[in-house]
Amino acid sequence: MAIQLEHVSYTYDARSLLRQTALQDVNLELAEGLLTGIAGSSGSGKSTLLQLLNGILLPTEGAVRVLDMTLAAGKKPPKLAPLRRRVGLVFQFPEQQLFAETLEKDLMFGPVNFGAAPEDAAARARKALKQMGLSEGLLSRHPLQLSGGQRRKAAIASVLAMDPDILVLDEPGATLDQISRMELTSLLHYLCREEGKTIIVVTHHIDELLPYADRWVIMHEGRAVFHGTRRGLVDEAERLPGCGLSIPQPIRCWRELEAAYGLQAEEPCLSPSALADRMVRLASAAAGKERVYA
Amino acid sequence: MHEKLLIGRLIDTGSPVHRLDPRAKLTAMLLYAVMVVCARSWLALLCLMVFSVLMMALTRIPVRTYLKAAKPLRFLMLFILIVQCFAVKGGSVLVAVGSWHLDSAGLEAGAIAALRMVLLVSFTALLTFTTSPGQLNQGLEGMLKPLEWTGIPAERLSLMTGIALRFIPAILDEAQTILKAQASRGADLRELPWKEKARMLTALLVPVTVGAFRRAEDLTASMESRGYRIGAPRTRYRPLVWGQGESWFVAAFVLMCLVIVWIGFY
Repeated sequence: MAIQLEHVSYTYDARSLLRQTALQDVNLELAEGLLTGIAGSSGSGKSTLLQLLNGILLPTEGAVRVLDMTLAAGKKPPKLAPLRRRVGLVFQFPEQQLFAETLEKDLMFGPVNFGAAPEDAAARARKALKQMGLSEGLLSRHPLQLSGGQRRKAAIASVLAMDPDILVLDEPGATLDQISRMELTSLLHYLCREEGKTIIVVTHHIDELLPYADRWVIMHEGRAVFHGTRRGLVDEAERLPGCGLSIPQPIRCWRELEAAYGLQAEEPCLSPSALADRMVRLASAAAGKERVYA
Repeated sequence: MHEKLLIGRLIDTGSPVHRLDPRAKLTAMLLYAVMVVCARSWLALLCLMVFSVLMMALTRIPVRTYLKAAKPLRFLMLFILIVQCFAVKGGSVLVAVGSWHLDSAGLEAGAIAALRMVLLVSFTALLTFTTSPGQLNQGLEGMLKPLEWTGIPAERLSLMTGIALRFIPAILDEAQTILKAQASRGADLRELPWKEKARMLTALLVPVTVGAFRRAEDLTASMESRGYRIGAPRTRYRPLVWGQGESWFVAAFVLMCLVIVWIGFY
């Protein structure tokens, strides 16, 4: 298991009058090498959950096990730098996180902190920039001279440059246009399949991530109310509206198809092209049958 | 960072003090400042402390929370204590090292000065703990309004303070966002040596300042687009109402003020 949460709760300002419970008794096991999508309405604890994964927040109850490290409530945490080298976290609103004088320095910040040689860090910065589809001409610019979308991509690149084993992203697609969002999703899919990274993404665009995510976690009022495969999510889609989410269009379509043709326990086709393929096969099978009857 | 900074945050317990007219609370705070300045003896300070604790109890916010509000200033208080110890001479000699000696009068003066500081800072936190920034602002404007004929721009001043108060948590949040991102990329302030720590904090200056300007511009645009104009006649969603409770509250402070001044004379 890459990540294991046992009875984890997190309360902001636990010792003051402003206390606010963000997570309650969350139990999750996220396997290595999979792409996991996390969804939930605002205030359901998604961001808090992500920040527990690399020790930015420490649990107020329970224990978080990430790779070979354990962060348990009430215990002094181990040195967090080795954990953070392996778990890269892209925060919500990443465009607000750039601070160095040039984009290049910002991209190199992570690798250099984790002990990479300057040349190596520079090479990694370039690679990450290319992965995010930004041109090298931007490297010498001040981060504030970039456009909003560029800044967001740059901030994601700054975490990619660290080459972490586990990549955790908090709504990376928000404020990006649809094409950039699709590119980002396929990049994450590539990193997961080809480079064996474990990827965890919080998203409000469930439909866009559906064809790629291996596992789904649904958060509601600080609890993980669902954790399972795509198939499981399709079967339990009725629960989504109760969690403040609408049933994604691809799931609706697939379920109608299932109902119409009496399909059972089949791996759902959730991208438009897969769905079209499946429909063609169903239609030709039906046509074949008709011919037999005729 | 947020958890440590308590000044400027509303803690809503729904106590009667929370419901008071902000003008009453502002007046009370001014009177309290007068009391702190006038309280120069142990007896006066003791009276003031009892009074403060009683008032704090009325707000249903624990005294501990008030003391926490004064915590960020502990070094300043220590500094005041030390300076007084050096500057004020007289009474009996407590410690003597070479030609330098610590006198009882110096220690006493230092302790009193530091205690007054604690009282002032922790007690005036009552204002922000029990009053929302909006109300505070409205109160300030209400108090300055009668002085407008002297050329004091009441509306502008209250708008300025209102925005400034609103920006403190916003800017802190912004700094914290960057600090978290830095920590996540291997530069955790808690784990860095002092020199590195200073370097990391100065790196925050530019983005946070730029962020504050950006926020200010967005705010101006959004206020103007909703028709806000300085000097334009405006109605209030919640007009200020001065009732009996307010009068009693201020009367308590006036009375206490007289007591402190009286103790000072005798």
